[in-house]
Amino acid sequence: MSERRIGVYICHCGGNISDYVDVDQVLAAVRDEPDVAVARTAMFACSDATQQEMVQDIEDHHLDGLVVASCSPKLHMFTFRGVAKRAGLNPYEYTQVNIREQDSWAHTDDPVGATHKAISLVRAGIARTRLTTPLEPVVVETTPKAMVIGAGIAGLRAAIGLADIGLGVFLVERDEQLGGWVGRFGEMYPHQRNGQELIATLVEEVRKRPSITVFTNAELMAKSGSFGNYLAAVRVNTNPPNLIQVEVGSIIVATGFDTYQPEVGEYGYGIEGVLTLPEFKALVDGTRGSLTYHGKPVHTIAYVYCVGSRQPGGNEYCSRFCCAATVHASLEVAALDKTVHQYHLYRDIRTYGKYELLYTESRKKGSVYMKFPDDTPPAVARDGAGRLTVTTRDTLTGGEELTIPADLVVLVTGMVPRQNDELMNVLKLPVGRDGFFNEIHPKLRPVETVVDGVLIAGACQGPKNSAESVASGLAAVTQSAAILKKGVAELDPLVAAVDADACTWCGKCLEACPYAAVEQITVDGREVAAISATTCKGCGGCVPVCPEDAIDLRGYTDAQIRAMIDSLVEEPVA
Amino acid sequence: MSMDYDVLVVGSGIGGMESALKLGDMGYKVLLVEKEASVGGRMILLSKVFPTLDCASCISTPKMAATIHHPNITALTYSEVEGIRRNGDGRFRATVRQKARYVDEAACTGCQQCETACTVAVPDQFNADLVARRAAYIPFPQAVPKKAVIERVGTSPCTDNCPAGIKAHGYVSLIRSGKYEDAFQLVLDATPLVGTLGRACYAPCESECTRGSLEASVPIRRLKRFVADRHYATMDGPGIAPPPPNGRKVAIVGSGPAGLTAAWQLARAGYQVKIYEAAAQPGGFLRQAIPAYRLPPEVVDQDIRNVTALGVEIATQAPVRDLEALKHDGYDAILVATGTPQSTGLDIPGEQLHGVVSGLGFLRDAKQGRAADLAGKRVIVVGGGNVAMDAARTARRLGAQETLVAYRRGREEMPAHAAEVDDAEREGVHFHFQVAPLEVVGDAGGHVTGLRCQRMTLGQPDSSGRRRPEPVPGSEFVLLCDVVVVAIGMAPDTAAFAAQLKVSPNQRLQVDPHTLQSELPYVFAAGDVVTGATDITRAVGQGRRAAFMIDRWLQGRELDGFVALDDRLPVVGKAQVLARQREYAHREPVTVGATFSAAPRDFAEIEPPMTEEEALAGAGVCLDCGVCSECGQCVAACPANAIDLNMRERKLEVEVGAVVVSTGYKLFAADLKPQYGYGKYRNVITGMQMDRLLAPTRPFNTVLRPSDAKIPERIAYVMCTGSRDETVGNPLCSKFCCMYSIKQNQLIMGALPLADVTVHYMDIRAAGKRYDEFYEQAKSMGATYLKGRVAKITEKENGNLVLRYEDIEHGGTLVEAEYDLVVLAIGVQPNREAERLFVDEPLGLDEYDYVAEPDEDLNPGQTSIPGVFVAGAASGAKDIVDSILHAGAAAAQVAAHLEQSKTKMKVPQ
Repeated sequence: MSERRIGVYICHCGGNISDYVDVDQVLAAVRDEPDVAVARTAMFACSDATQQEMVQDIEDHHLDGLVVASCSPKLHMFTFRGVAKRAGLNPYEYTQVNIREQDSWAHTDDPVGATHKAISLVRAGIARTRLTTPLEPVVVETTPKAMVIGAGIAGLRAAIGLADIGLGVFLVERDEQLGGWVGRFGEMYPHQRNGQELIATLVEEVRKRPSITVFTNAELMAKSGSFGNYLAAVRVNTNPPNLIQVEVGSIIVATGFDTYQPEVGEYGYGIEGVLTLPEFKALVDGTRGSLTYHGKPVHTIAYVYCVGSRQPGGNEYCSRFCCAATVHASLEVAALDKTVHQYHLYRDIRTYGKYELLYTESRKKGSVYMKFPDDTPPAVARDGAGRLTVTTRDTLTGGEELTIPADLVVLVTGMVPRQNDELMNVLKLPVGRDGFFNEIHPKLRPVETVVDGVLIAGACQGPKNSAESVASGLAAVTQSAAILKKGVAELDPLVAAVDADACTWCGKCLEACPYAAVEQITVDGREVAAISATTCKGCGGCVPVCPEDAIDLRGYTDAQIRAMIDSLVEEPVA
Repeated sequence: MSMDYDVLVVGSGIGGMESALKLGDMGYKVLLVEKEASVGGRMILLSKVFPTLDCASCISTPKMAATIHHPNITALTYSEVEGIRRNGDGRFRATVRQKARYVDEAACTGCQQCETACTVAVPDQFNADLVARRAAYIPFPQAVPKKAVIERVGTSPCTDNCPAGIKAHGYVSLIRSGKYEDAFQLVLDATPLVGTLGRACYAPCESECTRGSLEASVPIRRLKRFVADRHYATMDGPGIAPPPPNGRKVAIVGSGPAGLTAAWQLARAGYQVKIYEAAAQPGGFLRQAIPAYRLPPEVVDQDIRNVTALGVEIATQAPVRDLEALKHDGYDAILVATGTPQSTGLDIPGEQLHGVVSGLGFLRDAKQGRAADLAGKRVIVVGGGNVAMDAARTARRLGAQETLVAYRRGREEMPAHAAEVDDAEREGVHFHFQVAPLEVVGDAGGHVTGLRCQRMTLGQPDSSGRRRPEPVPGSEFVLLCDVVVVAIGMAPDTAAFAAQLKVSPNQRLQVDPHTLQSELPYVFAAGDVVTGATDITRAVGQGRRAAFMIDRWLQGRELDGFVALDDRLPVVGKAQVLARQREYAHREPVTVGATFSAAPRDFAEIEPPMTEEEALAGAGVCLDCGVCSECGQCVAACPANAIDLNMRERKLEVEVGAVVVSTGYKLFAADLKPQYGYGKYRNVITGMQMDRLLAPTRPFNTVLRPSDAKIPERIAYVMCTGSRDETVGNPLCSKFCCMYSIKQNQLIMGALPLADVTVHYMDIRAAGKRYDEFYEQAKSMGATYLKGRVAKITEKENGNLVLRYEDIEHGGTLVEAEYDLVVLAIGVQPNREAERLFVDEPLGLDEYDYVAEPDEDLNPGQTSIPGVFVAGAASGAKDIVDSILHAGAAAAQVAAHLEQSKTKMKVPQ
């Protein structure tokens, strides 16, 4: 083994690590490891000052390997690869050791153990780094086109945004109509704009742009290729169905939401006069003159908030938009007929930010707000006399039980993730506990998913109102453009590679590969496996199934993994 | 640096960085301008962020580093944008003011030694004012770039008003830090006359001191004497070694304050200097005229030894009459600084009588012990200047039975310093104002018996601005006296130079007022011989200037078109200084301690020295008007030689295709809710302060309460402070206070497992992905949430706080609950800086002064001005996640705008 010159940095992370891991002890334990040329601790390894220091060290000490023991590579792997690159060190000679999420945070009750674990982990990182080789990213030209799935307000706006930046767009909508939910709404908060008109405006803008191709009655059926160059198969449900193949560099998923549908009996749902929020919104939007329901004038409305939201054991999340939407709808009612009595039975009114003005206005217009205890939700019933009533406790007036006779009871229902199993199968997007698509990181990479080049926008990521959905749609446009405007993409070279001499083509790897990256080729008259570097995700699934040991994962070779295991089983402290 | 960019991004908070990074990734050239010394905005200052409890630093630092290193982003920190104007072609021109950092960014290594050395502490805005930072500072440990800045708001009024160019604020702050010798050396930097000025200076610094508008000025002059006394107590001479000689020789004629100062400065630069003094002892007026009770001659001797210690030779009884001859003696340059040794006469009958003396002659005789005994005599001093006061007080000491000052105008118009007049009065001097002498009356023996005078009335102001005295007809009278001291003015004695130099009719040497160079290039002149009688500080200032010019001239450098000598920043206004705090605690001034006798009998020094306690107390009340005191400690401490206090701001003109306003928000000033006692009760803190207490870079190593550093056990949160509140003019909800409070609740319960946390809320607004789950988590960890607004907070003697509120959820009873610490969940206010960016057309604001988005439904990020976009909380309260998405949207809008402009330009119209 040739000698290496490795720099090791151990991060305090403020106190996130050093409150539990004795960072100086870790330093002392690893600084004299073979091949370690420089070892230091840092208050914040990610800070610019420490980054500069690393660059200096790499240059001054001619380092050929870098180990940073800090947080999860999800957070800072790219940061430190960047440091290596700036200093002229191949970024794949860098190893990130996670002593925060996988150590200090996990062992807050055992500082000694956490310190020993950190020592072992850092030694393993050094062991891996001893065996790194310089790797070059796979550079692919990207296709300057994007696909937008879902033509609700977020998808429509995103399509226009992409076109305006000079990218070609395929807009794929499952319905016959463009426009999604907003296309069915009348006046919306906070600017009193009409949803149908907004959608009409956007659809007209879409039509004006020749670079946008619209597929309605269409679904994404398959996706192959890799980030920057996806080949997508769209089925247009004409008669007979038409399968169209398009090449795109990125995919923006803007498939929106469904609304919570209460069970029959839940808060009286099913009883005549008990409506969900979207049903009520449609009623109000469609009303000219005084509000009537089934031909009967409506004099009293009771709103029950948080139906299907913030429910332990059910949908635990808050749906964010419904408070303001309901308050706004009640203002629409007041505008139609100011004599209507409106009672809002709520837990917290979440008219955040400027939407507070709606809440204030609604109270001024006579709406009565009553807070019910979290554990005592209102009961909706039709009494013996056939009257619809809501019984609740009003915390604000001493918790008294009140029964409100109402002509309409509106169940303020929130958003739920849209059922989209086929699409999820095609795109392999992970969802969170709430069932909505998960971003990589809400602050670092809020519209990106774990699938490179597949972005999420609008309410498919989580409940949002219309304006917020548009903003996230445009943010996804920005992210697409940031990838595609360069014209080339760099793919991680940490992929599987076949030793053609050892391979006997048994086909086991082909079966194991979930990404269809393996193909059978002929080399010197022999049938062997080849793995596409652009399609392979580096999952390593093929490596252990190969009976000839002919596959190795670059960056995580068998030799590296063995060296790491050997280090881990060493006693951390002599 | 290219002056053309595609986009100008104003503000580098999370919104600004996100816009800049994404636009840079798309290939656009971005100019990012940040007013603070680091990019990062507010997020980097937070502890952790909701709902993931990621460390805020960990999320911010990679964005900050990426921003500064991005090949398409030019980031200017410590810079401000002003005057954005739209061009005819739809592009924008903007002026970027790069504030002077006073630190060479390229050379600074971020070692922080300047911070350690700095003698000025100011509230640390990056720690929400919980602790102090220095005037030389790196904003925070993760700052990008990690480069120091010296905060200089301007020249402090004391320093600005010193004609000698002494850094008054500098030595005050050094004394405050216990660096007495460094303070002495800082004064020495300007002049060797430290002890002299510590006593005899009339202290123009003190008259401008901002503290003087509160209870009394900082005793700046006496502080200087304090360091001089301490220095001379242990050391003879300046304590610095003479520099290696540079081989050049300069002759100085006159050893008053101008000549001594020039000699000192030139000697320090390596010149071989010789002073020629006509009198028997050096020092000029310092020795000849200023009475010993104000300035003991030993002090002058000590100060002069500073000069001679550097090898300056002083020839006494060596009047110079021929400058050319001197030049031939081998001097490369000559400085004439002979002052105003001649007294002006009254020019009235009887002036030749015995008993009529000149003020200067009288003082000179007194100092040399040759004065006549005045016991039982009546003395009239004619004149209203400082010499007249010195003469009158000297007469008292010589035993005069009565001493009367006769002055032709009123007390207000006297040229003497008010303190001198007051002291003279304390010593039994009487004043007769608005009288002019007409004749000295004598007896047959030729001795003075009286002074015939005329009453004057004050007419219109004359050229000096003082009201002109006019005789009152028929008002003549005689004041009986034995001695008349004439102290109405002094003039130079330049007759000997008249052949070689230009002399004005009033005997002053005429030189270039800027370079002090005469017609004969090798002859310079400085001090009162040029300006007429002034005072020590002005003479010192002239001496410095002359030395500087002579040095430049001898080096063959231009004497014009530079600013290096004593270049001062514009003075800081007192109002500006006082506005930094809403209230100032009274600080008892250090009293002078001098005792005056109505019949003083000796020339012993009147003013006692300051004790160290007095000096520290006196220096301790300094308000640090200019922030940086120019004490020079950082300059000396910097190992990289990176600090340059002569740096000045620069203005860049840039042209850009689009503008992103990401100026963020302001936090609500919690003292605007007086019922919560913020600013009055020390244990009422803001949410931002709590975030700092919890941050990894926290100022103390734990959560503690400010009054007594006790670890709090009962902590209350008051939500909606300054939000949803018409009484403070803000009916809006601030969006993120609920969530940051819930986050802090969780962190506090982690840091202080025994603490009880109670949140008094209106509605908990946990609206966002995983936010409500985060709220439930805090509840399950044990935080208590009580519905209802807190009416009032009162403080108990032990610093605990009593919250009065209606317990809505438990029957609506009024409750008073006691807590150790109260956190006010302050909300946001619009940052009005956004609208000031534009000069031609106003940037549209909404009803509550946030940047308006006229088409928010379809075009978030667009403003009222085409090509101008808004990102983040400048358009209204947003949490970090929303700000990042909003900034992403703004970036898409910018890109579309730029692409559209490109297309327009390509297609011929």
